[in-house]
Amino acid sequence: MQREAAASAAGDAHVRGFLPWLLAPERRGALLVTPALVVLFLMNIFPLLWSLGLSFFNYRANRLRVPSFQWFDNYEKVLTDPVVWERFQTTAVIVGASVTLQVVVGFSLALLFAKEFPLRRVLLMLVLTPMMLSFVAVGVFFKLFYEPTFGLVSQFAAMFTGEPYVVLATPAGALIGIVVADAWMWSPFVMLLVLAGLVSVPRDLYEAAEIDRASAWRRFTTITFPYIKALLLLAILFRTIETFKLFDIVYLITEGGLGSSTETIAVYLYRMAFQFFRTSQASALAYIVLFVVIVLTNLYLYSIHRRRGPG
Amino acid sequence: MSDISLSHLSKRFGELLAVDDVSLDVEAGQVLCLLGPSGCGKTTTLRMVAGLESVTAGRIEVGGRRVEHLAPRDRDIAMVFQFYALYPSLTVRENVAFPLHAEGASAAEIAERVARVARILELEGLLGRKPRQLAEGELQRVAVARAIVREPTCFLFDEPLSRLDVQLRETMRGQIKEVLNGLRKATVIVTHDQLEALTMADNIAVMRDGRIEQVATAHGIFAAPANLFVAGFIGTPQMNFVPATVRGSAPAGTRFEIGARSLSLAVDPAVQALEAGAPVTLGVRPRALELTDREAGDTLPATVDVVEPMGAETLVHLADGERDLRIVVPRQRQPAPGANVHVRFVPGQTHVFDGDERRVSHE
Amino acid sequence: MRAGRQIGKAGYGWTVFVGVVSLIYFFPVLWIILTAFKTRADALATPPKFWFSPTLENFANVFSRSAVGSTEAFSTGFGLFFFNSVFVAAVSVTLALIIGTLAAYGFSRHPLRGNDTYLFIILTTRMLPPIVVIIPIFLMFRVTGLSGTYLGIILLYTAFNLPFSIWMIKSFFDELNPEVEDAARMDGSPERRVFLRICLPQIKAGLAATAVFALILTWNEFLFALLLTGTDTRTVPVAMARTIGGEIGVDYGLLAAIVCLFLIPVFVVTFVLQKQLLRGVTFGTIRN
Repeated sequence: MQREAAASAAGDAHVRGFLPWLLAPERRGALLVTPALVVLFLMNIFPLLWSLGLSFFNYRANRLRVPSFQWFDNYEKVLTDPVVWERFQTTAVIVGASVTLQVVVGFSLALLFAKEFPLRRVLLMLVLTPMMLSFVAVGVFFKLFYEPTFGLVSQFAAMFTGEPYVVLATPAGALIGIVVADAWMWSPFVMLLVLAGLVSVPRDLYEAAEIDRASAWRRFTTITFPYIKALLLLAILFRTIETFKLFDIVYLITEGGLGSSTETIAVYLYRMAFQFFRTSQASALAYIVLFVVIVLTNLYLYSIHRRRGPG
Repeated sequence: MSDISLSHLSKRFGELLAVDDVSLDVEAGQVLCLLGPSGCGKTTTLRMVAGLESVTAGRIEVGGRRVEHLAPRDRDIAMVFQFYALYPSLTVRENVAFPLHAEGASAAEIAERVARVARILELEGLLGRKPRQLAEGELQRVAVARAIVREPTCFLFDEPLSRLDVQLRETMRGQIKEVLNGLRKATVIVTHDQLEALTMADNIAVMRDGRIEQVATAHGIFAAPANLFVAGFIGTPQMNFVPATVRGSAPAGTRFEIGARSLSLAVDPAVQALEAGAPVTLGVRPRALELTDREAGDTLPATVDVVEPMGAETLVHLADGERDLRIVVPRQRQPAPGANVHVRFVPGQTHVFDGDERRVSHE
Repeated sequence: MRAGRQIGKAGYGWTVFVGVVSLIYFFPVLWIILTAFKTRADALATPPKFWFSPTLENFANVFSRSAVGSTEAFSTGFGLFFFNSVFVAAVSVTLALIIGTLAAYGFSRHPLRGNDTYLFIILTTRMLPPIVVIIPIFLMFRVTGLSGTYLGIILLYTAFNLPFSIWMIKSFFDELNPEVEDAARMDGSPERRVFLRICLPQIKAGLAATAVFALILTWNEFLFALLLTGTDTRTVPVAMARTIGGEIGVDYGLLAAIVCLFLIPVFVVTFVLQKQLLRGVTFGTIRN
């Protein structure tokens, strides 16, 4: 150890002295972490910074002129653009509705699977499958379901009302269509997390509650809920972040359409970047979205630290 | 009429018969201890009474009603769990008050009953804390408080003191006994610790492999164990067991052949009915032996092997080539290791167990 | 110890109830599977057909079909795309697990100054809409010649899976009792051994859970695959998207067949690792 310290102190990069220097205990943490950081930096951070840089210029990907520094002009343009606010609204509606639906459905499904019963493994796989489908599949087929003439939904409704119900005919309907497709796909994710919580509650707490003659509601609020609270919030956080970025399903089912009533912020970003080629502006907008998401995440982390779980 | 009555209770888990034909009665105000080694079925029996395990065969009556098909909540019982099962998200006060909500008691009544119980178990200072902030002994008191805040027909305790250290155990033993005396309800306690059983119970049921070996008072279990297992289970240090053969009886005592030696002891009259040559086991507690200087008809020679001081007394391990004996003597009289001594079987305190391991007795 | 892992047991009645609910939930998937076996006419029939004579022509078309208006069949190269998906997913998930486990171990057992900052930054890389980084990455790949190569897309996917993997695996390591490791160290085991023989085996379930999640995310990734894979390295989701760009509209039967085939590997892996998945999720996420 002293030899190595002396070697490094002397700035000795000789091969024999370098390897021990690298593997010394103090450097272990850094050594273990470096490969990951390198990959992440190259693939994530570096592009992120580049894109941040882009947002300060007026670079347009389809023009060849040299970009000039614009300070915060792009941010200003984006923040004062009424279209952007509309898109945020739309996105917020979709995120709110979808995450709520995911929580309700996911939670209910978790309740179903919390017990041990015959064929549980098989049925669990059935419910997990929607998560494993590709967005393309879900998008295309749900669009088919909603289709006015062939679609299953329309025909199903026709059985009751005599007339095919066209889901995508109204802006509200289109939004519902997207929300349902997204929630259907990702409720199993929420279910998994809640299920993990339900399954970890010690059984003797339920036994004690049974002997104490507690009602089902009381059992739930006193025993079950505290254990799943943390996980439920985690599920909500993840799904909110992901749904905010929602692009694929929206694009495939409605293309943001019915005019632009279902265009989420991500779809608008796509248009801005690849259809209008306002690259720098798109970067600015994207950073604003990132900012919003970071704020939400911090809210979540803050609320987790305040209530430190059931103990 | 007993408040708790078990008739031919059995429980089977697949191939395993965990509880085999258990019948017990507990009167109001009495404490019954289910005592035995791990796996003997005592906890399973308790859980059947509570309703947390289903019954394979037999009947359970609580307060005169048949309950074996009822859910735990309908049986009017309260239970203290081995690991306390306190609700982590509630304060101590809320934990203790929890069972009262089901009775539809008013907030004022709940507060009053909780306060009363808190006083009895010295929990007043802890009412605002959560379980994770409490020490082991405090957790246990809260668990007991939660059970006694109700007025059930009977109480069930699952290894109540097993998680406490020795000093705490002593204190809590006394406290729980006091509380139980005050409540005058039928109580069943499950434990593997004989000291707990001996001090807290009115009656003890010793169990092994799902069956009851003996039911008696503490004194009865100690002084008149029904068989070899019970005799060896109760009493520390453990009873000495010496294989012997009956040789004959005389008014002075029955003669036994122990290896190459012979002993003449005054034992239970029923031993005389045994034929000569019958193999028996002599059981004598370490405190029912004495060291003497002189050889006599009721002594055996031995050499001192190991000397274990136990404070005011000393446990001495003796060996005589064929067998080991343990004897407890006052500290002042302890012999030196290696010394040759004579061990005397104090008259009337030697038990004789027949070939089937049952104690030979005229009762 | 009385504290078990299940609330209670239920019998066949419950199975039936949950079975009905599960089947209703599963119904859209079921429809897709059925569609894979239908002829074009059957797929779009009104009213929708549940009973039909099944055909395998869609599955055949997946691998080789003829362009509209011609009778000459050409190989679609689906086999290659499928292989690409499997290869890219397997390698990137494995890499993410290896690098991520090392990093998680480092963060957990040898924390650096600014540990929390690093971890938070790692988390935020997940938060940005992919659209934003697509252009820089696209240009970067072009410049370095990684565009259309296996190495490029694998590196990218590894980077995608790292944040989530590191967070999950780190929380598993945090759960472990350090005294066991200290005991091994005192017995003279070198660090490498402590890590490989003591720590890793204990978090097997967690690693399985992380692997399954990472696999699901990577398997269906579309956007970056679209832009960064070439004709030789294309993955199935991209191929899927190309089939719906036809002139005469979507061939639902064909698409359904592709979906079915593509679903099988993920399904099998998840089923096999189901128990570990549940156990792994429990361990890792309670400990927030």
